[in-house]
Amino acid sequence: MSAIPQLEAEAMQAIAATASTADLKSVEAQFLGKSGSIMKLMTLIPTLPNEEKPAFGKLVNECRARVEEAVSQRHATLLEKERFQQFQAEQIDITMPSRRFAPGYAHVLWQTEMKIKRVLGSMGFQYFDAGKELEVARFNFEKLNYPADHPAMDEQDTFYISDDRLLRTQCTSFQGRILDIDKVQPPMRWFTIGRTFRNEAVDRTHSHTFHQVDCFMIDEGVSMAHLKGTLRRFASLMFGLDAQVRFRPDFFPFVEPGVDYAVSTSKLFNGRWLELGGAGLIHPKILEAHDIDTERYSGFAFGLGVERIPMMAYGVDDLRHFLENDLRFLEQFA
Amino acid sequence: MKFPVSMLKEFVSTELDAQQIGDLLTMAGFELEGIDEVEGEAVLDIKVVSNRGDGLSVFGLSREVLAKDPSSQPTEHYAKVAKGYIRGDESSTIPALTGKVAINTNHCKRFACRLFDGVTNGPSPEWMQKRIRQMGMRPISLFVDVTNYVMVELGQPLHAYDYPTLSGGQIQVRQAEEGEKLVTLNGDEHVLRSHNMVIADATRAIGAAGVMGGHNTEVSAATAQVLLEAAHFVNTSVRKTRKELGLSTDASYRFERSVDPNGVVRALNRVAELVENALEKPVTSPGVVDLFPSPPVAGSVPIRVSRANALMGYEGDDSVTIEQAKSYLERLGFEVGGDGEPFMVTSPSWRPDIEREEDLVEEIGRIHGYERIPERGPIGETPIGGTSGLEAMREAIADHLMRMGFVQTISHSLRDTHHLQSSRPLFGPRNPGSPDHAYLRNSLLPSLADASNINGNRDLHLFELGTVHTIVNGDYAENAMCAMLSVGALTASHWVKTPPAIADFFSMKSAVEAVGRAAERPISLKVPTQVDSRFHPTRQAEIVAGANPGNREVVGIMGQVHPDVAAACGLAAETVLAEINLDALGLKAKDAFVPRLISRNPAVSRDISVLMPVGVSFEKLDSACRSALIGREVDLIIERFELIDVYTGKGIEPGFHSLTVSFTIRKMGQNLTDEEANRVRERVVEALAGLGGAQR
Repeated sequence: MSAIPQLEAEAMQAIAATASTADLKSVEAQFLGKSGSIMKLMTLIPTLPNEEKPAFGKLVNECRARVEEAVSQRHATLLEKERFQQFQAEQIDITMPSRRFAPGYAHVLWQTEMKIKRVLGSMGFQYFDAGKELEVARFNFEKLNYPADHPAMDEQDTFYISDDRLLRTQCTSFQGRILDIDKVQPPMRWFTIGRTFRNEAVDRTHSHTFHQVDCFMIDEGVSMAHLKGTLRRFASLMFGLDAQVRFRPDFFPFVEPGVDYAVSTSKLFNGRWLELGGAGLIHPKILEAHDIDTERYSGFAFGLGVERIPMMAYGVDDLRHFLENDLRFLEQFA
Repeated sequence: MKFPVSMLKEFVSTELDAQQIGDLLTMAGFELEGIDEVEGEAVLDIKVVSNRGDGLSVFGLSREVLAKDPSSQPTEHYAKVAKGYIRGDESSTIPALTGKVAINTNHCKRFACRLFDGVTNGPSPEWMQKRIRQMGMRPISLFVDVTNYVMVELGQPLHAYDYPTLSGGQIQVRQAEEGEKLVTLNGDEHVLRSHNMVIADATRAIGAAGVMGGHNTEVSAATAQVLLEAAHFVNTSVRKTRKELGLSTDASYRFERSVDPNGVVRALNRVAELVENALEKPVTSPGVVDLFPSPPVAGSVPIRVSRANALMGYEGDDSVTIEQAKSYLERLGFEVGGDGEPFMVTSPSWRPDIEREEDLVEEIGRIHGYERIPERGPIGETPIGGTSGLEAMREAIADHLMRMGFVQTISHSLRDTHHLQSSRPLFGPRNPGSPDHAYLRNSLLPSLADASNINGNRDLHLFELGTVHTIVNGDYAENAMCAMLSVGALTASHWVKTPPAIADFFSMKSAVEAVGRAAERPISLKVPTQVDSRFHPTRQAEIVAGANPGNREVVGIMGQVHPDVAAACGLAAETVLAEINLDALGLKAKDAFVPRLISRNPAVSRDISVLMPVGVSFEKLDSACRSALIGREVDLIIERFELIDVYTGKGIEPGFHSLTVSFTIRKMGQNLTDEEANRVRERVVEALAGLGGAQR
């Protein structure tokens, strides 16, 4: 029986002497393990006289509990110290450069187009995906009410492929494809986004290639007020909910009345009016040419340049950036 | 058009300053381009739209100011000009010119002359020279300056001839003789065609009508007798001649748009007044020769003000009343007649653009104000909005590729030739302007190669969605395409060194498969029937879409770039490329897609290594193993079957490689036993043996 206090004292001494949790683990095994010296005492019980068995068992259990408690306390102390050392050793400089994933990203014009598609789609305009860059000349001019030899054609020095094929100068040519080829009858709301071409040299502010949004609706009782309201909603969702729209008379052969519209928001453009595009009520001659009763139906149409939106929003003043694909430029919008 | 604001104030009595007048004209549809301070005065620069030639004069713009701003009043000068600037001698002709003036073409509608005698064609008065400079022109001599001045003031082009130089003392308008020569004022000689209209004397052409006068009859400092001409020419004729001669002048610019045919004599009269004021003596021979065979008859258009309100969207207090509408139109020079609606509106001679009711609606709206148009959302039933079809597919493809790490580029359709262009026919605009954009691309690969070049040709994974053009069966064909270029590390580099995965044929294959997933058409590759010379001959493939044989077609091509092509266009030799025709990809029905339900019973995995002859394609091995896996056990789920190792080298005899495949199988609702799994494995081993593979 006297062996028990002695063993306990040895155990306590050994525990106190441990320098690490690993040491402690072996000390723990040495005394408390299945074949540890304290646990071994239990194996002596059967050899004892029956009347000594309970007292002996009690003593061993009490001893074991105290040693276990000491192990647990020592473990806490050692672990705290070890963790401290570990964390000191593992310290990083959080200001070091981030480790980049290599995600792909969209071109800034595509991002703009996606936003436009969402906004116009939300107002019930359907995207027309059968537009043609290489357009039949009459859809670009005659079908849009350009009189033959009209000076307005001067403003669009056009790339002709042949006498009757050209690179479209405006996406408005899709009206002809919907009304003339597909013979769609009102009511309708359509829009498209595509590439347009003018015979110009490329420099900071000019390009032979632009992207354009073109949109129109035809229904009963459509007025300039619906055009203005639609453009206001469009501008609000594109540029901020406080966006305002202003009309100014302008001339395009395919609308009557024709306007150009400007947008202003307090945040984005410092309250200045920035012209966004042309608009108006679809010229009645175009409706009549497609057997649409102009007393019953009217329509509006508007267009704008896609490049113009990031140019306005971010102050990009060199058009060439958009189609050169220098990733130093593009990745900023990722 | 540039003019000093003081000129406009000779027509309009107004409190408005230059900026306010510019803003007001802008809101009337004549955009203020800028205000310049020239010689101490504000000069307005106004842009005039192409259907409003009447706005190409100070007088015409004055009319717009007066219509738009009721507080401004017309001056006496305005009233005099509006009435034709009458001198009183207009009804008599000029005896000296009797039988000497003629119109001999259909393209001249009016031709009128005045004669001046005893003139001195020295410098014009200082005040006029100043205004000529303010208009952006150069003072030359009295007659040149006065005719230019009156053109800007009243909109009517004029021309002064040194009368004694006209042979036979005659002047006529006629079509040119084929091959007839004319030296214009700027000294250029032109050979004319019979569709060019000319001013001529008895023997020769002395001016290109409506475009520029001739050198041979030009006024000079010695000129003492002047014949002044003003005319009305058909705009299409002037335009054609102007384009052919390459001479764009202030006169041709106005004639091409529109000039008031009734302003011809008024302009002659105004010139006479200004010349006599300058010379301080009467020099005008009495009378006017005015050939005006068929003055245009003004047309009338009915207008409903209710229609104007409906189209403009004016509501409530902002609605236009009939009285307002009539007042607006009258202020613009229209004549209105009748009570109630519709009422009849007769256009003035300077407004040939007015053809129908909608044109008048715009006039009413312009003056009433576009700021009074309310904002209303689109009305009617809301159709299906948004994208579908090809565009939705393009969006899905972009999403898939960006998720994989591809960066989107967008580049020009017009370009020069390139080693990576397709072998299909190439064409371009017939007036390209520059060899840099002489062709419409027939492949997106050249564009991606350019983008690679710009960005250093390393560690790039790019894609473009765009259009290409070619000729198919003699007709122009336009196709939507998706192309990818990939080279170098697939992961970003970092100061923590980890060896990156490198792009190769098989990483590109995965991108091509992703395009297929986006389009819901499974992709497979096949060895090309014909080698494409742009690609490495043994590392290229045709891209095939569709799962079922009946629904399967070639939609594109992919491969590693040919080393010679890589060298020629500056690409890294390990660059891999792919191009897919989206019209073809989207043409056939999407393949049915049925999601697999997940078994909750435990899975069993097995690996098999075999020594396989190199000539056996993985595709063959793959399909043999998959059918062996299933065997006749319809309830077996093949959760995974993949190639996990390929080994050649030490211990492997030449012509063979060691392949390790691995599979995971399960059953739905019951557990697989080891024995069952081993039976499946045995079937696969047998199948591999059938292909010549010996288990290792």
